[in-house]
Amino acid sequence: MGVNIVIDNTSKGTQTDFDGKYEIMASPQDVLVYSFVGYKVIKRTAGQETIINIEMVSDNTFEEVVVVGFGKQSKRKVTDNIASVSSSDINNIPIASVQGALTGKAAGVQITQINGKVEGGVKMRIRGVSSISSSQEPLYVIDGMPLINDDESVSEAPINPLISLNPNDIESIQILKDASSAAIYGARGTNGVVLITTKQGKSGKTKVSLNTSTGWSEATNKMKWLNAEQYVELFTEASTNSYGAEDTWLTEEGGYFDFMSNGKDWRTGEVDTDWQDLALVKGSVQEHNFSISGGTDKTLFFISGGYNDTQGIVRGNSLDRYSFRSNLDHKISDKFRVGMNTSLSKTKISRIGTDNSFSTPLQAIAQSPLTPAYLDGGIVPNNETSIYYNFLMQEYNGNWNVNIFRVLLNSYLEYQILPELGFKTEFGYDNNNQTEEYFAGSLTESASTNGYADANAIQSDKYSISNYFTYAQTFNEDYDIELVGGMSFEESSRKRQYVAGTGFPSDDLQTVASASEITSGTSSRTKYNFLSYFGRATFSILDKYLIKGSLRYDGSSRFGASNRYGIFPAASVGWIISEEDFIKDSETISLLKLRGSYGVTGNAGIGNFASLGLFGGTAYNQKSGLSPVQLGNPDLKWEKTNQVDVGLDFGILNNRISGEIDYYSKKTNDLLLNEPIPGTSGYTSITRNVGSLTNKGFEFVLNTNNVMSKNLTWKTSLNLSTLDNEVTDLPSGDIVAGRNIVREGETISSFYLVEYAGVDPANGDALFYKNTVKTDGSLDKTTTNNYNEAERIISGSPYPTFMAGLTNTMSFRNFDFSFTFQGEWGSSLYNEGGKFQSGNARYEDNQTADQLDRWQNPGDITMVPQARMYSTNGQQASTRYLEKSDFIRLRNLSFGYTFPREVTQKFSVDRLRLYFTGINLLTFTDYSGYDPESSYDNNGNSNIEKGITFYSSPPAKTLTIGLNIDL
Amino acid sequence: MKKYNYLPIILSLLTLSFIACDDNLNIEPEQNLSPEVATESPANVKKILNNIYTVARDNGSYGGGIALASELIGNNGSLSWNGTYVQPAEYNEKAILSDNSFVESIWVNAYDISNEANIVLSSLSVFTDDNEKAVTEGEAKFLRGMAYFDLARLFSKTYVPGSQNSQLAVPISLTAVLDASIIEYPSRNTLEEVYAQVIADLTDAYDLLPESNDIYATKYSAAALLARVYLEMGDYDNARAMSNDVINNSGTELTATFDGAFNNGENSTEDLFAWQVTSQDASLNDFSTFWGGVEFGGRNGNPDLSITSQHFNIYDDSNDERSLFFYETSRGTATAKWKNQYGNIPFIRLAEMYLIRAESNFRKSTNVGDTPVNDINALRDRSNASSYNTVNLATILMERKRELSFEGFSLFDAKRLGENIGSIASNANRLILPIPLRETDVNPNLIQNEGY
Repeated sequence: MGVNIVIDNTSKGTQTDFDGKYEIMASPQDVLVYSFVGYKVIKRTAGQETIINIEMVSDNTFEEVVVVGFGKQSKRKVTDNIASVSSSDINNIPIASVQGALTGKAAGVQITQINGKVEGGVKMRIRGVSSISSSQEPLYVIDGMPLINDDESVSEAPINPLISLNPNDIESIQILKDASSAAIYGARGTNGVVLITTKQGKSGKTKVSLNTSTGWSEATNKMKWLNAEQYVELFTEASTNSYGAEDTWLTEEGGYFDFMSNGKDWRTGEVDTDWQDLALVKGSVQEHNFSISGGTDKTLFFISGGYNDTQGIVRGNSLDRYSFRSNLDHKISDKFRVGMNTSLSKTKISRIGTDNSFSTPLQAIAQSPLTPAYLDGGIVPNNETSIYYNFLMQEYNGNWNVNIFRVLLNSYLEYQILPELGFKTEFGYDNNNQTEEYFAGSLTESASTNGYADANAIQSDKYSISNYFTYAQTFNEDYDIELVGGMSFEESSRKRQYVAGTGFPSDDLQTVASASEITSGTSSRTKYNFLSYFGRATFSILDKYLIKGSLRYDGSSRFGASNRYGIFPAASVGWIISEEDFIKDSETISLLKLRGSYGVTGNAGIGNFASLGLFGGTAYNQKSGLSPVQLGNPDLKWEKTNQVDVGLDFGILNNRISGEIDYYSKKTNDLLLNEPIPGTSGYTSITRNVGSLTNKGFEFVLNTNNVMSKNLTWKTSLNLSTLDNEVTDLPSGDIVAGRNIVREGETISSFYLVEYAGVDPANGDALFYKNTVKTDGSLDKTTTNNYNEAERIISGSPYPTFMAGLTNTMSFRNFDFSFTFQGEWGSSLYNEGGKFQSGNARYEDNQTADQLDRWQNPGDITMVPQARMYSTNGQQASTRYLEKSDFIRLRNLSFGYTFPREVTQKFSVDRLRLYFTGINLLTFTDYSGYDPESSYDNNGNSNIEKGITFYSSPPAKTLTIGLNIDL
Repeated sequence: MKKYNYLPIILSLLTLSFIACDDNLNIEPEQNLSPEVATESPANVKKILNNIYTVARDNGSYGGGIALASELIGNNGSLSWNGTYVQPAEYNEKAILSDNSFVESIWVNAYDISNEANIVLSSLSVFTDDNEKAVTEGEAKFLRGMAYFDLARLFSKTYVPGSQNSQLAVPISLTAVLDASIIEYPSRNTLEEVYAQVIADLTDAYDLLPESNDIYATKYSAAALLARVYLEMGDYDNARAMSNDVINNSGTELTATFDGAFNNGENSTEDLFAWQVTSQDASLNDFSTFWGGVEFGGRNGNPDLSITSQHFNIYDDSNDERSLFFYETSRGTATAKWKNQYGNIPFIRLAEMYLIRAESNFRKSTNVGDTPVNDINALRDRSNASSYNTVNLATILMERKRELSFEGFSLFDAKRLGENIGSIASNANRLILPIPLRETDVNPNLIQNEGY
């Protein structure tokens, strides 16, 4: 990147090359303007000279600027905790989702992909979990417009709502973590705010960039399962233990094993199917992007196009995305600016069943290795003798496609009324149009109805208008004041149409049009809106003392008329100690800033009509009915979070070492809770404001420039964070959902399980600790083989208590190298499928290889009980299936080589870089399941049921090679 | 440069945008009605009533779930469980866990029925037509009585005729819950209290309902259910009276063939009450799901519940159509009673009334309506089985098995008659469902059943 040289008052310009050389045609009276980020602008009249050498002077007054809500601020003067991620951190990482590229880059931000499905949801948790039943997701704002972030999947497995954004269009991402920065977004600030700024052109020479990459992927991990011989051994033993050796129903001629083998001879090892290998396949990634950007002093533009083709590692799962963006900014006059950013994208996804469906590939690991995957001929899947429905049939005789069209439009007008007073009006529009079509043919699970098809269409759109004034003035040079005030209105509406039919004349006719019977259909409309007023005042005195205050007043249709509005104030102070005389001249300390903030944010992530009692339409015998679907609660009000943040920013040795240390404490009151109520009332839950919880933690960020020489640079960035989540008040008592519990004094969603005590060496019975409370208050740690005698206890948490990210970036001559390690400690995963997969042959499902360690003879010491077919022995929900999921992962790595300019110039190429990128290349963990990041996607939208895995696929490990070409 | 004058435009834009948009914050749901509107007219209240049938027909309850529990817990070896679901496997093993979600569905649906019936009953004042009001009240009470009867049979120790029956049954909830302020945390009532409520409801239903009422509950649906309740209670006089009333006055008659009583899209001539299933209701019929072969909409066990050779010991005539009412799949023998995914589900058939009248008459040594032997032979004749000259209690009860197998009677009959299930005593704790864990978690006033 060179110095920009523009002839003043024209659009003529150029840039210097890598050696600092430039050429420009100018008349002697022309004024040349030299500019470079971080350096002072220099103007020079061309005159008669043919060579003008300029030495740029660094600009001490230059300050890094960060995007904040409704404006920008000098990073130096920010009194908030904001994590910034720049385009260089996220571009060229071959991950289809924006959030995935951020993993490990910001302190206190946990980003978890649900599992290895390409479209799968990604969960971002900023400073812990602040709500039990309301939304736990941050607010995403792109170029000033809050985005639609609703999962529109027709199944329980979520689709990432941001999957249609192209990460390569992003210039920077700011994550507003504390209340003082997020409170300007009031009612939706509690879970943090993610501000996304897209790229814009720069005046000067038009820049054309191309990026193309291609790569391969596979599962991060595979597990060991019994082969045919081991399967026969274990299940024969299990049957003998249950029914005696004389009952040979499995092994006899025409017995169950013969049935499974479907004519193949299992006795001679003729069949040994590896179902896991059929489900987890080799994937691939292709990504091609181009962008053209540039402009003059009046008009800036950025145009980009992108294509991403990801073939997932789970058979039949893939994604294609085409995206287009055009950003335009024009200065009509010195006072008047307009701009418009538009993006269009089309995403096509081939889906597979949820983790809890027999048709999902990974459930094939339950099939017996004795069952051939295909019938003779090897084309038609064998569904005749498989224990469960053979998923291969779904690919052979069905399909499930999603098409998402997304349009984003942001436009603005800005008017500088006075030099110190500006006005900006923004209009944003977001349209998410999703069509999901499913077909299952006459050989699939829908055989009995001769095929089944459905189609689901969603039209979600949202418009937002905001108007605000900005006033900035400096008094007596020492007193800076900035005021922002305005309003915004947002309306979101959603329409849905759905139809399903059965009975198809041919498997080639796959739309509902050919159904002989329409079995189901629906359509619905819903809407919600927000009306908000906001203001912010920032003072800076002597460039050392910083004070900020903000206020937001939000109203939403989601709340009952009596509690419709909420007020969300915030205040923060900062002291730049390094500006004080006693330290100002220190050569060691270049920056020392102490800051503190307090603020209130809200959470309105509940149903559109959660406060109302509702009856909905039903039918019996094709006559209409009315069903009570929701109990009303007119007292429903905003959930509010009070957050305190204290932080220290420091820079040492001319900022060669810099960092931030923060402590925060977030307390959420009046939790919007879907409180379970006795079923005897006719309902199972109601939304109420009860209880409170806290999140507390330290965050530590350290950036160092280890080496800064001409040929070698090396930078390191480390972030560490702790999290302590506690439910502090829950007047309604425990909430138990599946294996998780919300209990006062404990981390939200703690595991609540009977404690497994291993195996009785005498008889092979599974044992459990009783854990009943004794009269002295302690727990009875004696064991029992009667599961119903054992009490559940808190046995772990699905959330990490410590997270770390470490990024290193190096360049040596023409080589560049960077990598990010990321780690999480303190969380556990419960395998809900454990009872089937590792259940000492209780069910006929294939077992993990470790089940061969089963108890066989008196005196055997093992954790695997005696195998007893169809008889329960240790398969009940217990800590037997709970495991720590700490991990360290080489999240991404890239290695590039930029060809010498002398060579590429011959082909008119400014820059040519060849690179290699890897994602999830290494994972260090003691977790024995698939992967610490493979969780049950049916729970994807559940707030309480967390840390559960159930036939969930591991994420992909991806290797790509690519080229960057700049013209 | 031209001097633009945008200030007025901007000021007017501003004025527009700052005008309070408060009205915009009032958004009414487009798919839902408020409780006030839902209960304000007879037409709406009748739609709530109609929905109670939908809830009852849920696959977790009368659409298969209750019968599945009864047949699998009552399975003494006549059935083989081949399915992959854990919840029925627990039934079959008689090792039910309190978090069994099938058990939870039975409970939650039953109280949904109860609450909606309470809502209907508390809204009767909107009716102006006395006849319409009576029918509505009768149906609501029929459904509520039915729900409590099955709750009591599943979650409580068996009723012992002539004793106090103070064993804990289930909470009786008669309050219409329409807003959050009326949520109660009830304790369990005794079995005596629950049965008193059931009889009161069903007797009212019998008095209020008309003799014919489309596919909905009629006077004789209520009478037939009362006969079933009295039989369960060992009150043979009343069981006899009710079954006799049904046989003589209901207008129903046995279908010409045994086959004719099942898999019908429309109610058969012997249905005193049947759950309506159509392809449009998007409801799963769990009878065909679990009992049917794959080609009839069954699950992969094909069928999940197959019939073992032991079952065939109950037949005494190879011509008996009931002994031939099976089909073979690649995995085993399936009953032919549940072959139509979209067929109605018979809830009370006239055949059961003949069995109840015969048993009650025999036990009371009476011949009200007809002799026991004639009643039994009526069923045998219809199925092409040879007639008996005489019957005793054992032959009557065996006839009951031949006629009613796979319809959800196994557990209830075994417990009522004191018959062990395999080696498990008929009064064992394992044969009683646990109070669902979600209920004991939420409501500390609920005492869990022994053994859980």
